Amino acid sequence: MSEHEFHPLVKQLLDGDITLAALPPELRAEGEEALRLLAAVDRSVVSVPAVTWRVMAGLERRRRRVRPWLLAPALALAAALILWILPAKPATPALVTVRFVLVAPDAHDVSLAGTFNRWDAHATPLVRSGPTGVWTATLTLPAGQHQYAFVVDGVRWVPDPGAPAVDDGFGRRNSVLTL
Amino acid sequence: MIVSLLVIPLTLLGMQQQDSIAARLAGRVSPDIATLVERLGTAASARGLPVDPLIQKAIEGSAKGVPSERVVTAVSWVAMQLDTAAAALREGGVVTDTLVIAAGEFAISAGLSNHDITALARTGASVAALTVGLRVAGTLGAMGVPSAENIGLISAKLRSGQPAGDLLSVPARVQAEISRGVTPAQAAAGLERAAAAQARHGPPPGRGNPPPHPTPPPHP
Repeated sequence: MSEHEFHPLVKQLLDGDITLAALPPELRAEGEEALRLLAAVDRSVVSVPAVTWRVMAGLERRRRRVRPWLLAPALALAAALILWILPAKPATPALVTVRFVLVAPDAHDVSLAGTFNRWDAHATPLVRSGPTGVWTATLTLPAGQHQYAFVVDGVRWVPDPGAPAVDDGFGRRNSVLTL
Repeated sequence: MIVSLLVIPLTLLGMQQQDSIAARLAGRVSPDIATLVERLGTAASARGLPVDPLIQKAIEGSAKGVPSERVVTAVSWVAMQLDTAAAALREGGVVTDTLVIAAGEFAISAGLSNHDITALARTGASVAALTVGLRVAGTLGAMGVPSAENIGLISAKLRSGQPAGDLLSVPARVQAEISRGVTPAQAAAGLERAAAAQARHGPPPGRGNPPPHPTPPPHP
């Protein structure tokens, strides 16, 4: 096992607290590597170390002192319930690279907020390309469906004019991306 | 003691759900919104509904600077739509999971009705294919495709048993037709006719299973 320590944000990614798109660009490669490692670990056979065997053996000896026929049904049901409530690990979805473009000649800054970055208006800035006012960002997103909007100058939420949109429930429109 | 062993996991279930929701909302929404979403989310989860759409809507509203009472209304509305989607799917004979319910909720938010959801559920498609079909149907609804043509097209696609990738390409193909000057309804109807013809005559060359080798002619 490697002694490599992941960046705290990458750990949040592994915990499912943030998405890959929410990582700063310099951490994306580390995040993707961590997800690949996680997927590999999930598929690998888990070996029980010797120390754990000794602990399990100790528990086994203790268990012999109680009357298991009284507790076995309840323990089995409790174990089944605990297993049922443990969250299943979702399969790692395929990643798709998408380029977002907005023409906003008068904007001072433009960013992208959506379900992929927990609607964080500062997480995904677009880059202005040349003097024409074309703003772009290229993201790698998990396959599935995403809703998003551009945030112009930090205050104005603008749907993508090139994408279908749905009512956001707040009197505005969210753009829809189905990958 | 036996009762305690049974109660602990159930208590853990509720606590775990609330902790999970609270952790995901932490620092993103006001305490009053967080409390409401925790309550709605725990109740929704107990009914087999997904929690993620509720959390996303609360965070979205707060990020957009929407007043708390309006965020509360929107989150409650999403919860109702999830219930509607789940009921419509059950009506169509589908054993629901959280992903297909969330897809149904999206389709409803894009303008489809509970009858539309049930119609798609009755195509007999797998839950995975139906999930993609509902999301694509919602996307078509957002593009302005009327319900009748939308459900006709997606039903034909689901019945044909084509891979999910083909379904996902439908919005782009409808958009391409619209760019040529037809209406969204005409574009969807044209694709539905093509899908029906394909179902009758088999996949076009290069798609699907190759035909069996012809029997060689007998030697003279």
